Parts: sequence; C-alpha cells; structure tokens
Amino acid sequence: MITIDQLRYVRLGTRDLPAAVDFAGRVLGLQLVDRSDEAACFRSDMRDHTLVFFRGEPTERAVGFEIHGQAQFEAAVAELSRNGLEAAVGTQEECAARKVRALASFRDPGGNVIELVLRPLNSGWRYFPTRDAGIVGLTGVALRSRDVPACEALWTALFNGRVSDWVGETAFLRFDQSHHCLAYYPSAGRGVLAIEFGVENVDLLMQNNYFLQSAQVRIVHGPGRRPTSNQIFVTFAGPDDTLFSFVAEGDEIADEATHRPRQFPRSRSSFCAWGSESDVPEFC
Amino acid sequence: MISLLDVSYVRLGTQDLEGAARFAVDYLGLEVSEHRKGTVCFKSDVREQTLCYFEGNPADQAVAFEVRDSNDLEMAASELERLGYAVRSGTESEAAARHVKGFIAFKDPSGNGIEFVYRPERSGKRYHGSRDAGVTGFSHVGLCSSDVVRDEQFWTKVCNARVSDRIGDAPLLRIDEVHHSIALFPSDRTGIQHINHQVETGDDVMRSYYFLKEKGVPITFGPGRHPTSSARFLYFEGPDGMVFEYSSGVRSIADELLYRERQFPFEPKGFCHWGAKPQIRQFQE
Repeated sequence: MITIDQLRYVRLGTRDLPAAVDFAGRVLGLQLVDRSDEAACFRSDMRDHTLVFFRGEPTERAVGFEIHGQAQFEAAVAELSRNGLEAAVGTQEECAARKVRALASFRDPGGNVIELVLRPLNSGWRYFPTRDAGIVGLTGVALRSRDVPACEALWTALFNGRVSDWVGETAFLRFDQSHHCLAYYPSAGRGVLAIEFGVENVDLLMQNNYFLQSAQVRIVHGPGRRPTSNQIFVTFAGPDDTLFSFVAEGDEIADEATHRPRQFPRSRSSFCAWGSESDVPEFC
Repeated sequence: MISLLDVSYVRLGTQDLEGAARFAVDYLGLEVSEHRKGTVCFKSDVREQTLCYFEGNPADQAVAFEVRDSNDLEMAASELERLGYAVRSGTESEAAARHVKGFIAFKDPSGNGIEFVYRPERSGKRYHGSRDAGVTGFSHVGLCSSDVVRDEQFWTKVCNARVSDRIGDAPLLRIDEVHHSIALFPSDRTGIQHINHQVETGDDVMRSYYFLKEKGVPITFGPGRHPTSSARFLYFEGPDGMVFEYSSGVRSIADELLYRERQFPFEPKGFCHWGAKPQIRQFQE
C-alpha cells in the first residue's frame, strides 16, 4: 500500500497567465513566491508553494501528493506499474520546476493527472500574504470523474485513502484525520473541479464572502455548511472556470476504528445544510 | 430611579391582521399563543406572549418592560408624572389582554409608546415554532429617536439602563447582563425601529437567510456580525415595513464595574464586522 504523506500542490495550465496571477494574488490573497514568463507559484502556508499557474492549455492540470522517503517512493512507482498504471518518472527539469527531488506522474481512471513527489520544498519563512484573507493552507482538491467508483477504488486499494462520506456517488477521501483532502464528483468532464483553501474561522470566511462580492467575483455556491465534513464554505469561480473555495471549521475523524462512512442522498441539501443553491451541476 | 428588569413584549397595530399573523408564523417562526377578535398574540420562548398584532393603525406601537412589583410600578408612575410625562394606568381588561398583572403606558421623550408592566405571565407550555428557525426568544428592540443624546439621558438617568456601546451617537443600552435590550437610532419618525429575536446558533442565522431569501422576504442587512455585541445577525422586512432581526451569540456583560462602553463609527463597518452594508435607513449615514 502506498502511503500519501500529504497534499502538496495543484498545477493549472492557463492561456492568460497575467489574469491568473492577478486572481491568485488579488482575489485569493495568496503570496507570490516565484514568477517567470512561463509560470507563477503561490504560497498559502509553510509549503513552498501550493498553487501554480503555468502557460499552457486549461486542460493541463495536475495534483501533487507527497510520498515520504526514497524507498516508499520507489515502491509506489513499482506498485502502480504492477497494477497497470505506468507512472512517468519526471525529468530533472520537471523536478526543478516543482522544487522536488523526484516525480512520478500517472492518470487516475477518470483521466486526471496525479503527481507523486519526493522531498518537496518547505519554506523557512512565515507565510505573509498581501491581503488578510486569513488563509491557513491548501486543504483539499475536488476532481471530476466519469468513473468515481474506479477512482475511489484506486485510492482506497493501492493507496492509504479512506472514504469519509458519500453524497450519492461523490466520494470524500482522507489520508489523515482531516475529513477529506480529495473528493471525486461524478461528471461528464474531467480535471480539477475546485481547489480549497482553509481560512481561520467563520469571521474570515464571511469577510471573504463580502470581499468577493465587492470584487465582483462570481460566487457559485454558499456561504454554506457541508453536512458531510461540517465545514463552512464559500465557492467561487476563478480563471478558466476553475472553482475555488474558502473553508473553515469542520470535523476531524479522530477515531479511525469507529468511523463509518455515511451515505448522503444526491440532493442540494446534502451539499449545504444552510440552503444555499448552486448552478454547478456537480453540487446539485 | 426606575428599575427595569427585562423587555417583555411588543404590540404592533396593523391593517392586515391576517397577513401579519401569517408572516409571524410562516416566516418568523413564532407560535400563536392566543387568537382573539382583532388580535393575534405570539410566543417565542417561555413567556406567554412576546409579540402582539392588533387591528389598528400601524403607527400604533408599544414596547413593554417589566418592573418588579406593583410598588415599583406606582413609584415609576409618580416619577414619570413628576417629570411631566402623561402616564395612563392600564385597565383590568387591558392588563388581562396583555397577560400582565398591571401596567402603565406613556410616551418616551421621542414619542414612542412605552409600557411598564409587572408580573407578566409565563407559559406552562414550552415554545414550539411552526418552522425550525431555532428561535430562543424575543430579546431587544431598536427605537426611533429624534434626539438620541436626550433619549439616552432618559433611559440611563430616569431608568436604570447603562450604555454598552455607541455607534456614532446611537447608544446600545442594557438593563441586565445582555449587551443591549434597547438601542436608540436617530430617525425622523417615531416608533419601533427593529425587533430582535435570538436564535440558537450562527447556523440558524444562515439557514433563515436562505429560507427568507427563497421566500422573497426583503433582506435588509446581513448576514453579518456586529462588532459591538459580537452577535451574528440578519435583518429583514416584515409587515408594515417593520424590520425584524435574528441574531445569535450576543455578548453578555458580567462585570458591571470593569466594563467600559466603546465608541464605534456610524458607518457600515461600525454595524458589521464582515462587510455587509445595511439597507436600513436608520443605519445609514
């Protein structure tokens, strides 16, 4: 079994890099750490970076997970190969761009690119954003998939992922005590549906909500509370129709032995306990 | 000094009793406690009634405060008369309609209808709302004031209210440990400026926000959080333009000796710490 240490980053291709950079800094309030003509890296916490926009097609997207230890990393590549998932080992250049020692990427059954990385950089400097959005870190990624059960099976059989809850087929997966850091939504498309950043508390969440309104950012869901994780959230549209969420509060799953994943119906009220509506097909 | 113990109820005249009652039940989530000809009363907590709609002029409004006993009520009446207020003693049948042992009625310096009551009835039955709004009870009123500095003197010098905070010159006044039971807002009209009910949690505030929005009830302010009382709030419009508020998490002031009132600006950020902008006339500059 491959053990995921933690979610590290999301990489998003975009045709309009300056617009994406403006969004990440001004709207999300992240700290710019590196900027070249080709890419921009943003920090949200003690990790060197958690969000990267690069010049490319919006369909080029990847989610990075850290594997701890060289032996584990090599075993992971071999394990994937045994199961018919050929992992492409990253070149030196690709590793340098991601600031990692080793990289192996593969596609999940839904076609999403997953990158496994070894020794990604942390920052010794405190996270210091331009806007006081109260971000505490990258907390989760939601992916689209035509075959959620197959994706779920990949993460729970080959990896140390556990299902925390289901809403219909939508699966919330955890690798530690956080309710989820990866979620799969049944969808006709593929790729990253939403990227979630944790904020300190409900005050920051609501302040961000009004900030987004005044900045004329399109809020697509919330403010609301998820009956599954008990997180409060506000979800809004970013560049290339990628969604971003601010989340706060939420339950941890402290007792692995006794937690049983719960099944919620596929309905609006399973995505929001406050009654917020959404036009995003995955959320209703 | 007149010692007020609690805010008891509000009485509101309306020309559409049926519509007002429907709002109170379906939207506000109150429970009908009594239905008489021309009057519908509602409960929101353990008290027999905290809101009463009666057939009449919508400008005919009153808010009632509880005093300890008949002795205190008589003393209050003579004190008010000494200061030149026209005080009227309630008749027995009027007192019965209000579910109180006795009361007096007068106008505050701005001309708002005020009643002082003693021994208001408690209900043996607990409150059970018609919808799960999480209401825990009627909690405070905002009053219109033609001169907030003068009216603050009335409530704090003639009565026992203390200033908890000020937004501009508008004082938030407490008569017990709850941050405020009376709030005075500058206005060119008289009457009740808003009626507050407490709800259990911030979740209830948000659920009601989406519920009321879906029903097409005008949301006039929020959801937000008051920097003064730290309560999460939602203001919306009811019958006859009356503003209702739900809030949760109001600060309680336990230490009367150490507490000092604070000054907040009379602008949106003095009213909301999340960034909501009020669409309520008395909250606007």
